Amino acid sequence: MPSEETKERITKLVEVGRTVIHYGWIPLIIYIGYTRSTPQPTLIKCVVSVPLFDLGNF
Amino acid sequence: MASPAFPPAKDASTDPSPSSVPQAPKSSYMSPLTSAFSRFSQWRKSLDLPNPGTVENLQKEVKSTHLTNFMFDGARADLTKSLSMNPAFQVTHSFILGSQVSTPSYNFGAVFANNNMFLQGSVDHEGNVSARMNQGWAENSITKIQTQLSSQAGHSMIQLEHDYQGQDYSLNAKAVNPWPADLTGIYIGNYFQSVTKNLALGVETLYQRPTPDMSEFTTSYLAKITSDDKNWIATAQVQPSGILQATYWQKLHEKVEVAADLQLMASPQRRDAIATLGAKYDLRMATFRAQLDSTGKISALLEQRFAPTFAFLVAGEIDHFKNAAKVGVGVMIESSTLTPEEMGMPPQP
Repeated sequence: MPSEETKERITKLVEVGRTVIHYGWIPLIIYIGYTRSTPQPTLIKCVVSVPLFDLGNF
Repeated sequence: MASPAFPPAKDASTDPSPSSVPQAPKSSYMSPLTSAFSRFSQWRKSLDLPNPGTVENLQKEVKSTHLTNFMFDGARADLTKSLSMNPAFQVTHSFILGSQVSTPSYNFGAVFANNNMFLQGSVDHEGNVSARMNQGWAENSITKIQTQLSSQAGHSMIQLEHDYQGQDYSLNAKAVNPWPADLTGIYIGNYFQSVTKNLALGVETLYQRPTPDMSEFTTSYLAKITSDDKNWIATAQVQPSGILQATYWQKLHEKVEVAADLQLMASPQRRDAIATLGAKYDLRMATFRAQLDSTGKISALLEQRFAPTFAFLVAGEIDHFKNAAKVGVGVMIESSTLTPEEMGMPPQP
């Protein structure tokens, strides 16, 4: 059984990890998608989509 | 590998295919065991049994025929934008309004996938994030991580999973909300093995450990029968506590599938049974699902595609016993920044 100190450290680590994923996961996917896509889209298109304008491209 | 007591050069030069002799000089006392094992695996290979599929997908065909997972009410709109085809990258905005069961909501989702990695994330207007990551190590070995993060305490969860598919068996291990400090959480393991070309049997064990000094095992048994031409599939899942779920799925025609599902519960506290019948029609530009169940519900869902990028959905459900009804309409619009050539389609005239 780990000591109290280790348990506290684990709790703290999990909390930090959870916060990082909570705020960082969506930006991470958009960043990966933005950098790896072929052809590379403009960053604004990754987040905002105005479907009415796009409907013209049927 | 070879120990100095043996002249390694002689061994290697006389035998052109060292794999045919299963490491005889290394451990002679083990050789009966290893040769028995290799004979067993050769025998197993000679049976040529198919992979039974994963336990998670045991009822996949039934679930995609029934509309329980597709039903919605109120109004919804899904706007999907593809930004790249290979690797796949798309973002989705979805809006749900006027539902009887949930409050109006907005959801933003992003998906990125290449050959061996799949990343998905979505966030709703309240700031709840759900994340999913699949990493394929080889063709038959996948690690999956799923998590839901909420700013409210107690609503977050994480699930770690590993899937391995052998030649004629599937293995899966799962951990739900594991806590490394005291090893509490829910752990699930299952093994699914093809017995003949048509029959597969499996076990699933669930180990619950809500507190460090409380733990519980539950085992359930699975069976799946597939016809030779894969036109019908019957499955059953039994829990010794008295729960039985049996399903049957049949492909009647290239475009018509029917499915039946029976759930029985016979524990001392509760006796209950639900039967569900459903059918799915795949038409050229539309999908129609209809379903009837023993709780008096009749429901139907039509998904009509007017263009490759525009689909219209109508869903309806009447509960005859409760005298209630639900209606839903939805649109799905897909757009792309890519030209048809970039999407890999033939150029249109």
